[in-house]
Amino acid sequence: MSLEAGEIEQKYRIPTVAAAGSNVVSFGIGPNATYNTGMPIRYIGVPFPFSGQPRSVLKGYIAGKDTVSGKPMMQAIVDGLTKPLTDQEKMSGRPPEAAPEPRLLPPDTEDHLQRLFKEKGWTDYNPVILPTQVRVAAMLKGTSHKPEEIVKTAAGTFGTRRPFTVEKVAVLAVMAGAKPEYFPVILALASLVPYQDSTTSIAQMIVVNGPIRKQIGMNSGMGALGPDNEANSVIGRAMTLIHKVIQGYQEGVTGFASLSNPLRYDNLCMAENEEALPEGWLPLHVQMGHQPAESVVTVFTGWNFINSTGWVEQHYAPQMLMRDYMASLSGMGATLIMDPSVADLLKDVQGFKTKAMLGDWLSQNVEKTARSYWGNSIVSSMLGPLAAQGLEPYATWKKLPGDTTIKPFANPKDIHAVVVGGKTASVWFATDFRPEKGASIDAWR
Amino acid sequence: MDRRKMLALLGASPALVAAAPSYAGTSSTAVPEAAASAADRLITVLNPAVAPGLAQRIPLAPRLDKLDGKTIYLVDTDWGGMGQNDGILQEMQAWFAEHMPSVKTIIKIKKGNFVTDDPGLWKEIADNKGDGVVLGVAG
Repeated sequence: MSLEAGEIEQKYRIPTVAAAGSNVVSFGIGPNATYNTGMPIRYIGVPFPFSGQPRSVLKGYIAGKDTVSGKPMMQAIVDGLTKPLTDQEKMSGRPPEAAPEPRLLPPDTEDHLQRLFKEKGWTDYNPVILPTQVRVAAMLKGTSHKPEEIVKTAAGTFGTRRPFTVEKVAVLAVMAGAKPEYFPVILALASLVPYQDSTTSIAQMIVVNGPIRKQIGMNSGMGALGPDNEANSVIGRAMTLIHKVIQGYQEGVTGFASLSNPLRYDNLCMAENEEALPEGWLPLHVQMGHQPAESVVTVFTGWNFINSTGWVEQHYAPQMLMRDYMASLSGMGATLIMDPSVADLLKDVQGFKTKAMLGDWLSQNVEKTARSYWGNSIVSSMLGPLAAQGLEPYATWKKLPGDTTIKPFANPKDIHAVVVGGKTASVWFATDFRPEKGASIDAWR
Repeated sequence: MDRRKMLALLGASPALVAAAPSYAGTSSTAVPEAAASAADRLITVLNPAVAPGLAQRIPLAPRLDKLDGKTIYLVDTDWGGMGQNDGILQEMQAWFAEHMPSVKTIIKIKKGNFVTDDPGLWKEIADNKGDGVVLGVAG
């Protein structure tokens, strides 16, 4: 909203007041103005929550206080439009850059440094491996890229400018406990910042494909999603540190996830079990347009991770239960994570010769009511406006009586499958994770 | 329930539990000298912090001298996406009508979802001589 208010102010010179919920207004006033828009937009804060409140409560909010200034709400709005600009609000030009961060921290004891790292928000609050010069130098041997090379510039939360180098990523890789051979994967992951954030319980998922999986000992077999493999565990943890340190995510300052999500501890880091794919089922990275011999990391974003609980039974085909479980997802995308034994059953018994065929079937068979579909605020906030503009099928769905059933996964290409696991149980997960971006790992070797 | 039976149900051998050493009290009272000196040793590490770049500062538009007789657009960002989220703006409009009746207020719903821009609307407001904008509500 700061960007839009800024455009009205800057391009048309029309004074503007932005109204935000008290839950996030500090971001608009603070970090967003300092690092992103450069405009000290005048905000008022509306008590949270406002969505879902009866009109009488909203009336009370307007009769009450602005949570930013403490003034009566409407007085704050009138003041925002009429009070002369302060010197700070008249400033233009680039401010003097803050002093660069020193490359080395002052010498200290290990205990004090561990404490400092936690206090600075540089950890996941588990102990880290302290990034000594020797350890970082060893990590840098895992890539041909020079330490001072800039990996990316627009790296911060919501795309703010935070240039960072290969050496900075090496520091975080050491802290996460990585071996140098993991470093190209971690660099590729770092090249994909910023990762999506939200006040909702959004999370990321990492899927690695290609030869590097075996070269660095990732587990794509038995126990692949558990805390039972060094590479999977450490690479997932590295992403958490990249999110916090490089992207600059600080809960309550630059991010406001109300519950957050426990998946953020290791970001569901996995390697696809390409060797166990049924014939005709392509690895994820090949589906995304890469060559089989390329090593690629794909970052997914989503919220839900529904466990099949039990194994595939004779009396109910696996795609039927997948269909049932997926009806609880938003419909904006899905990824099925399945054991190779499930993939085999789907292909050999149920006749799904490709992953795409499974996606087609689920697209045609998952159903939910229109009321439930639009009841999800991620769906309504993102797709409701498209319906209002006449884009199908959303325009038609929005006009339907609430009890009418629709097929929410309208585009079968939004349904993905990743095969991973050790064939000790025919189990699977239905998730709403969607592949956002992929990056070449080979480019960072 | 019998403790032995309960442990068996949980998959733990009672014998194993009985034989498990207790670590309580082993947090040493006497730290070996070498360990103490290692803990005191100063080490130098690299700084993980990344300095964020500061944005170029852009001044705000000059403010109005007063609102009397002015046209204020109340723009709904359509936070919920269903065109039904303008209750707060309607209450603002009602307040202006009651307390500052000379102020003309116009409610508009922004096109696109709450994260997309609507440059056509900003131009429309400017073309129609809008004097001020209240934009909201996001959260």
